[in-house]
Amino acid sequence: MKKDKRLIGFLTLCVAPATLLFFIFMIVPTFNVFRMSLYEKGAYNPNETFVGLANFKALLADPNFIRSMQNMILLVVVTTLITFGFSLVFAGILTREKIKGQNFFRIVFYIPNILSVVVISGIFSAIYKPENGMLNSIIGLFRDMSDPILWKGQQLVIVSIIIAMVWQAIGYYMVMYMASMSAVPESLYESAGLDGAGRLTQFFQITIPLIWTNIRTTLTFFIISNINLAFLFVKAMTSGGPNGASDVALNYMYSQKDAGLYGYSMAIGVVIFLFSFALSALVNKVTERETLEY
Amino acid sequence: MKKKLLSALLCVAMVASLVVGCGGSNETATEAPAATEDAASEEATAEEVTIKVAAIETAYGSDMWTQVCEAFTAETRIKVELTTDKNLEDVIGPSMQGGEYPDVIHLATGREAALTEQFIKGNMIADITDVLSMTVPGEDAVVSDKIAGGFTETSLTNPYGDGKTYLAPMFYSPCGLFYNATLLEENGWSVPTTWDEMWELGDKALEQGIYLFTYPTTGYFDAFFYALMYSVGGPEFFNAATNYEEGIWETEEAQTCFEIVAKLATYTNPITPAQANDQDFTQNQQLVLDNKAIFMPNGTWIVGEMAEAPRADGFTWGMTALPAVEAGGDGYSYTWFEQAWIPSGAENIDAAKQFVAFLYSDVACEIFAAAGAIQPVLGIADKLEGDNVMFYSIYDNGAKAAMGNFAAYESVAGLGTVREVFFDPVNSLVSGDLTMEDWIASIIPASDQMRANLK
Repeated sequence: MKKDKRLIGFLTLCVAPATLLFFIFMIVPTFNVFRMSLYEKGAYNPNETFVGLANFKALLADPNFIRSMQNMILLVVVTTLITFGFSLVFAGILTREKIKGQNFFRIVFYIPNILSVVVISGIFSAIYKPENGMLNSIIGLFRDMSDPILWKGQQLVIVSIIIAMVWQAIGYYMVMYMASMSAVPESLYESAGLDGAGRLTQFFQITIPLIWTNIRTTLTFFIISNINLAFLFVKAMTSGGPNGASDVALNYMYSQKDAGLYGYSMAIGVVIFLFSFALSALVNKVTERETLEY
Repeated sequence: MKKKLLSALLCVAMVASLVVGCGGSNETATEAPAATEDAASEEATAEEVTIKVAAIETAYGSDMWTQVCEAFTAETRIKVELTTDKNLEDVIGPSMQGGEYPDVIHLATGREAALTEQFIKGNMIADITDVLSMTVPGEDAVVSDKIAGGFTETSLTNPYGDGKTYLAPMFYSPCGLFYNATLLEENGWSVPTTWDEMWELGDKALEQGIYLFTYPTTGYFDAFFYALMYSVGGPEFFNAATNYEEGIWETEEAQTCFEIVAKLATYTNPITPAQANDQDFTQNQQLVLDNKAIFMPNGTWIVGEMAEAPRADGFTWGMTALPAVEAGGDGYSYTWFEQAWIPSGAENIDAAKQFVAFLYSDVACEIFAAAGAIQPVLGIADKLEGDNVMFYSIYDNGAKAAMGNFAAYESVAGLGTVREVFFDPVNSLVSGDLTMEDWIASIIPASDQMRANLK
């Protein structure tokens, strides 16, 4: 009995610091975001006035906010789909097929993940340079480049950011899929092979269903991380330009704080918070399947 | 037992490191050395005061600030705790949100984080009108006798238009169009004095594959547009426009301004907008160095900023005021200057005012000038060297000085800043995604909203 009490005491002591820190640095700020979205105040002004839901009403009528939300959703959806497809295929090839230099490719694909977003943005900014950037130089071999392609111009800037984001993310998800794919027993493929199933059939009938739990988890990761990464890439590559063409919601939130609308930017934060929560829940619900075991 | 002791020790070490990590002190602060003995006869009240000064580190470097603070301490025995950083907002911002303000802040308006603008909008800047009648520490002269005419009468220093000065004018720089003088000379082109000559030059240059114009970012259009408004409609039009007067953007003068910018957009090197962001803007400046564009709007700091950049053979900097609208009209050059101010929440406002006054002393002006930062004081012209002699003589060569800016207005959700409303669309004008009519159509309702929320 005495030992139990001491154990509980010890456990409480162990958990207390983390709980306390979590409370101070996660719960309290989140609560504050929600509270501040109902107020208006300058970032440095101590006076705050209660405005109710006025900030949210203004959001609905703000074309810049709507455009930044559209851009964010576009980035999240397209980047997720492309990255998901590529990393699944690459993982399938690298685990199931016998190809030379497997480890080499594994490392090459994973390297972007070690680099910070700022470094990647720097690399891609150099690649996208209109005049002597790598991409335009290569294309220049095949066509006249006196009118260079403006990768960071108004028309293409979102595409350019998507390419950078996909390049950055593939390796990470590929490694995650590879880990669960290699756990699928070889015997299943052997017997499927004997029954006459081709590689593609095996991939869709055996591999995908058996790593489904893993895929669901990564989809949630995709949504959360892409919302954040979209902000980082935009901030480091374009600052939302030209003329707001690449603005995303988090970047817009940041700029509204600088414009002296702290409460308004918190209202944007609340919308993004609820949006990512809802989207994750939706994806989770839609992808629900009976868990297959092997 | 030993194990327990060890784990307990480890726990303590972990918690201790956490506490130490959280309580990091401000390492950028450097304390000026204590006052010298011979200054001991100074007022006793000043002895124990320490003021906190925060200054943005720009192309001029931060050494000059350290030296000025030392000189100030030697003169007045008031100690100075100096903070300088390239991203000053990030360094002093958090503690100011917590209610702890530096006593003097040197940070100009027009930066992306717009910290100074927020203080203006929030009425959180101390009135320093009385500083103008203070004697400069260590001298006999009064501050207002030293500051050059006009600098303390603009909306940048008197943001509320009530005749009171809130921001002290600092380091000024004539802005204009910068170009490669050698390029014009070699081709026998002369610097255009009217916009018609400008377009002619643009056509001639384009035949050689050189574009007439580029700009670093749309942020550089503020100085450009202010000077343009002056040269089109004079000070009256400028004041009416910067106060968002009703119907002002439908007037003939405003139309002329818009038409010139829209036409200039067609003469702009088309790759400009793709690089007109805070990360790549130097590549747009490089276009001028590489003879791929002739003119760009900029300030005198460009020489230092691009000092290390490769350039065309024989490149020499040239600078001209904005051309006049018609022959014989006035050419204008915008006078860009920075501001120093005292937050009204500062602890030692009196000592801070002395510091502001000291910034105009001969000692301080010389220290600043040595680093290339030119204080707006009378007689500064004798202290100039190098390219600066030519740049700062622009007003002696016929160009008129344009000063002022768009009036401050209360932030409104969804309205956007002056830059977002007026100048960012220039990127779209150049790329052809926006017409001049749509641009004007978006400015008019925004301007109405700004007028309704004027401070």
